[in-house]
Amino acid sequence: MKFLVRLLRRSEGNGYWVLNARIYSFLLWGLSNPKILSPALTLGQMIRIGVQALPMASLVALSVGFILAMQASTELGKLGADSFIPDLVSLSLLRELGPLLIAIIVVGRSGSAVTAEIGTMKVNEEIEALKVMAISPVRYLVVPRYLALVIMLPILTIFGNCVGLAGGWAVCAGTLDMPTSFYIRHAVDRPELWDLYSGLIKSFVFAHLIITIACHQGLNVEGGAEGVGQATTKSVVFSILWIIISDAILTGLFFFVS
Amino acid sequence: MKTKTEKTADASDVILEVRDLVQIFNGRAVLNGLNFKVRRGETFIIMGGSGCGKTTLLRILIGAQKPTSGSVHLFGEDITGLEPWELDRVRLRFGMNFQFGALFQSMTVGENIALPLREHSRVDPSLIEMVVKMKLELVGLTGFENFKPSEISGGMRKRVGLARALALDPELLFSDEPTSGLDPVMTAVVDQLTLDSTRKIGVTAVVVSHDMTSAFRIATRMLMLGSGPRQGEIVAEGTPEEIKNNPDPFLQQFIRGEADGPIPFRLSQDDYLKHLLGDG
Repeated sequence: MKFLVRLLRRSEGNGYWVLNARIYSFLLWGLSNPKILSPALTLGQMIRIGVQALPMASLVALSVGFILAMQASTELGKLGADSFIPDLVSLSLLRELGPLLIAIIVVGRSGSAVTAEIGTMKVNEEIEALKVMAISPVRYLVVPRYLALVIMLPILTIFGNCVGLAGGWAVCAGTLDMPTSFYIRHAVDRPELWDLYSGLIKSFVFAHLIITIACHQGLNVEGGAEGVGQATTKSVVFSILWIIISDAILTGLFFFVS
Repeated sequence: MKTKTEKTADASDVILEVRDLVQIFNGRAVLNGLNFKVRRGETFIIMGGSGCGKTTLLRILIGAQKPTSGSVHLFGEDITGLEPWELDRVRLRFGMNFQFGALFQSMTVGENIALPLREHSRVDPSLIEMVVKMKLELVGLTGFENFKPSEISGGMRKRVGLARALALDPELLFSDEPTSGLDPVMTAVVDQLTLDSTRKIGVTAVVVSHDMTSAFRIATRMLMLGSGPRQGEIVAEGTPEEIKNNPDPFLQQFIRGEADGPIPFRLSQDDYLKHLLGDG
């Protein structure tokens, strides 16, 4: 284990993969010495990145639930297949839309904020000051944010899925007079456990991409305010791009595996 | 001739040694073969005009940048060849006071000073709180621990930066332009604080400055870096008296702050007429 930690820490430069190697070296090190993972800072970031994003994530998830149910009712209604609306809503949310949309919300809300915050610290020499005080910026700034997002994004996704299902129920119960028990039975019984897991695996991968891209862009800011602005834009654009690409890859992988 | 014991004592007395230091940027030698030593207990001033490489030199001295060639020996160890985590061991023995404080904006003044203590010592939080109060008293800012850096003045930020640099009671203090942008009274206050740190606490100070009044007030030894035609070389080194009496016109122009002299007014390297009319 010690050898692996040393090997990962030996990586030099400011590249994206070097940052990944350093994050994992600290996480491995943290297994034997949890204090270095700064639990208090991680908790603070979990609140900032996760808990405070709940209202926005709920609103988006609720809207998506509405939209899915309404769109489905138009087409499925023509075929007399209204009873499949709960199945469609829950499967779409669990497998795809829940993880994807919540991740995109978090990119806009937290990914950009992390890049701007770390970038401003770089411009103000705060990162340099940390290094001179023998405090690794990756350990002190990146790892708590990494842990916070990797834990909180799947939790936000589960929460979003529930709210989205509630949105679908509101449409089904309100406009189609579908009994609540019928909706719940179909929405909960139809998906398999793997549907939930596949969504959570996606959510974990998205969290990894969002926070590593955001921190990498922030740590590599050059120039003043303009540099911070450019890095923030890049962070959002690259995160969304890689989220969608990785989503396609993972969906393909799950499709062939299952 | 020195005896063997004297030689050993002399070597252990040297806290910082720079050997044949060269830094080249875009084919231009910013630092060109520098050699100097700083002994324990000294207040060593590195001075020079804008763009002479003072900040680059300081960044190399604290290990933030690797030189093109040459070596920097801090506490007897060559830091230019150290891995980042090995460098951390050396960094715990010195403090750095940044030009603009480099305080963490999201933390209070007290948290800024407490950070190195929290990260590098296993001291009880109540004791850390006490040390923070002591450091704030040292820089004359008792009662300011709950202020954010954005709520205090530039001079106060510099003083907090100094308190943070001294938090772990370092043997060596690096200071980058500690008095730039301050009024004369605040300059004298910051100078007095540097003197207090060196005389009362016994810290060795390496200060980068172009403020001559302040430099002569606190220095025990000084070094002048050249610029323009003498870019990258040491123009003079010695005690404040030796520097004052050095007849070098380059040095004298800098000390007196005269516009006319060997230090060029024009920094552009191209011929003006050629530049104006184009190469053709």
